[in-house]
Amino acid sequence: MSPARTARSAWIARYGVVLALVALCAVAAVFAPGFFSFANASTILLHVSTNGILTLGMTFVIITAGIDLSVGSLLGLAGVLVAAALTAPGLIGAVGVGGAAVIAALIGLAAGATAGVANGALTAFLGINPFIVTLATMTIARGAARLITGGVPIGFPPIGDPAFTRKVAALDALHGFGGGRLALPGSASGLPIPALVMLALVALGALTLTRTRFGRYVYAVGGNEEAARLSGVPVRAVKVGVYAISGACAGLAGVLLTGQLRSGGPDAGMLYELNAIAAAVIGGASLMGGVGSAWGALTGALLIGVLNNALDLIGVQAFWQEIAKGAIILLAVLFDVWTKQRNGGSAHD
Amino acid sequence: MTLLTLRGITKRYPGVTALDAVDLDVEPGTVHAIVGENGAGKSTLLKIIAGAATPDAGSVTWNGRPVTVQSPREALGRGVTVIYQELALVPALGAAANIYLGMEPRRRGLLDRGAMRAGAAAALADLGLLVDPDRPVQELSVAQRQLVELARALVREARLVALDEPTATLTAHEVAHLVAQIEWLRAKDIAVIFVSHRLDEVRRLADTVTVLRDGRRAWSGAAHDIDEPTLIRTMVGRDVVFERRPPGRPPAPEPFLSVRGLSRGWVRDVSFDVARGEILGLAGLVGSGRSEVARLIAGIDRPERGTMTLGGGPYRPRAPADAIRAGVVYFPEDRKQQGLVLGMRIRENVTLAALRRVARRGWIRPAAERDVAVAAAARADVRPPDVERRAAHLSGGNQQKVVLAKWLLTDAEVCLFDEPTRGVDIGAKTEIHRQIRALADAGKAVLVISSELPELIALADRAVVLREGRVQGQVTGVLAPEALTALAFGAA
Repeated sequence: MSPARTARSAWIARYGVVLALVALCAVAAVFAPGFFSFANASTILLHVSTNGILTLGMTFVIITAGIDLSVGSLLGLAGVLVAAALTAPGLIGAVGVGGAAVIAALIGLAAGATAGVANGALTAFLGINPFIVTLATMTIARGAARLITGGVPIGFPPIGDPAFTRKVAALDALHGFGGGRLALPGSASGLPIPALVMLALVALGALTLTRTRFGRYVYAVGGNEEAARLSGVPVRAVKVGVYAISGACAGLAGVLLTGQLRSGGPDAGMLYELNAIAAAVIGGASLMGGVGSAWGALTGALLIGVLNNALDLIGVQAFWQEIAKGAIILLAVLFDVWTKQRNGGSAHD
Repeated sequence: MTLLTLRGITKRYPGVTALDAVDLDVEPGTVHAIVGENGAGKSTLLKIIAGAATPDAGSVTWNGRPVTVQSPREALGRGVTVIYQELALVPALGAAANIYLGMEPRRRGLLDRGAMRAGAAAALADLGLLVDPDRPVQELSVAQRQLVELARALVREARLVALDEPTATLTAHEVAHLVAQIEWLRAKDIAVIFVSHRLDEVRRLADTVTVLRDGRRAWSGAAHDIDEPTLIRTMVGRDVVFERRPPGRPPAPEPFLSVRGLSRGWVRDVSFDVARGEILGLAGLVGSGRSEVARLIAGIDRPERGTMTLGGGPYRPRAPADAIRAGVVYFPEDRKQQGLVLGMRIRENVTLAALRRVARRGWIRPAAERDVAVAAAARADVRPPDVERRAAHLSGGNQQKVVLAKWLLTDAEVCLFDEPTRGVDIGAKTEIHRQIRALADAGKAVLVISSELPELIALADRAVVLREGRVQGQVTGVLAPEALTALAFGAA
């Protein structure tokens, strides 16, 4: 194969998903009424933000050749803890409405990160398969969320609650974060804050992966764990790190979702882990490890979000949307196989 | 009638001729031993007999008829069973299921488990192995698993059984049992091919001996026609390819790295010293424990017993990272598995073990990393010097140079090389030898493991010979190939 063709297929391999996203947007802009508008774009970003944040954390894990099935349940558990803290009259009394919102958010983040550290430690130090470890923590976290709530969402207080006003004020305070919008000149709606959080995190994730020692170690562990260990890479610490990041992302997504909905439900985030894995794979991450990127995670999540949105606008039934999403995952994997073959059998360009 | 006849068998792999016009005649009811050094072509020959490799030239005749189709299935059908060192059993299945794998008896479309159990038990009993045929073979010892493979050959009514170094990891008692079974096979008029490094066994068991050397048949004849010293000379007898150069400066008088009583698994009580400026060869056969010793020194495995000192102080690495920090690095034997992250760029591989040098507070400085990687790749003579290429796209020699560049960057004081030139072309080999000598001349303590005697002779100032996990002896001065081989084979 000529160098030019090799270079071209390497370029296609790298930017193929972005091209697919652009093409999808172009098709949607023509056929879906109301797609091509700022308001719709900000709606898509808001809807994508949860999955985008989960996908970013998932991508770190997948690059190390791991998997994290617990993120959906951790999102649910974190959300429930956030809502419980927000509506605890004692906490509001002690630190005020704003303080309670900050503390509740930190609790959600810490819950996700702690569970992630546990996932990583069990995987790295006991050598248990991450699929099994995170399957177990997924089940435990979901059970814990239902136990705490008694099966019903925690949120808006019943009329006649003695602390009614303060609870509503605290929920509103967090809503300013999870459901707030940043005003933009010339736009009535503004940009949703969760979308901005997602974009900032993706930028931070990209810097971490490409410019830090930790990021380099993440790729090395996934590319060849044995060679990494023999090169002095602290393999176990790296693994704990990526699961902690994934857990923290799930916790943060739980905080944002609870703020947006003013409620923490025990069943929130059900099956979100599968959406995150799908988006990571569409974004170019390889379950074999060593391959993936933060911008790819964003692209994958956006592709799914734009597809859902466009099909909604056209009026396609939700069932067809699921079939379309599955087809996209298959196409992404086929595309991956195709570009690898074109690149002379290398698994990494 | 001769059962198997090979004539002019030639097999080439990229860069190497594994077999060069080899002839072989195997008679039924005899034991035919094949001996030779590591890399002499024994394994390739077995593969051709098994139908697992197709010769580039030459003919195979079975029972007087030429064999045209070469495939493992076809060879099995003729009655050829090859038992490799890495046994081909499914670990979680029992002996009965393994013995009948691919030829299961059926009754009305379902497995006839009763017939399988009975047939397997009978074959195992013939071989003196009394185990439950349903017990997963992973719970059996290596010797017992070998017998399960032999039982498979019996059930298939094999007429030729080839064993690749069957005694390499057996105890004396297990060897005696296996030898008795081989003699029983011979009595049943089955032809046995027996590849071994243990010359005493070869002389005790074999009717015929074929010596391979550098892919050619160096000698073939009746076992009683050759004595052990002649056998060793025939195996080794070749020209030294690499010119030996005198050390750039004499080694330091006092030892730098001292190893005392190092033991783990089957490595037992290994002791030696290496001085700064010295290249110590670690000789011995494959499986003699050379790599295991190097891994213990490099902190990859932890010793069960024994102590090490480095520069006079205690040295107890708990992980490779500790060893690297202390200045001890290991150039692994298998660069694809242990040396490189193939999906990463040359730059990323080269700086992996010394990332702190190009990072500040955890942030990599791209310009600094690039400069360091370019300099290291140039120093190790990586060609072309494009550090943005992926390691997967490089030739074997270049990959080894990238590993070399990575470890040169750590400025280690002790360098452990495990088969540094395996599978690389002659040009890269010369360059890697130059680098190893340069390290010693720069005052590093160097240890080289190599299965190629000419390589050890060219590089090492002194050699420690291991045999079956123990130090068998030491050779100093200009290394004599006969002395090394005699120690390695335990004949001295």
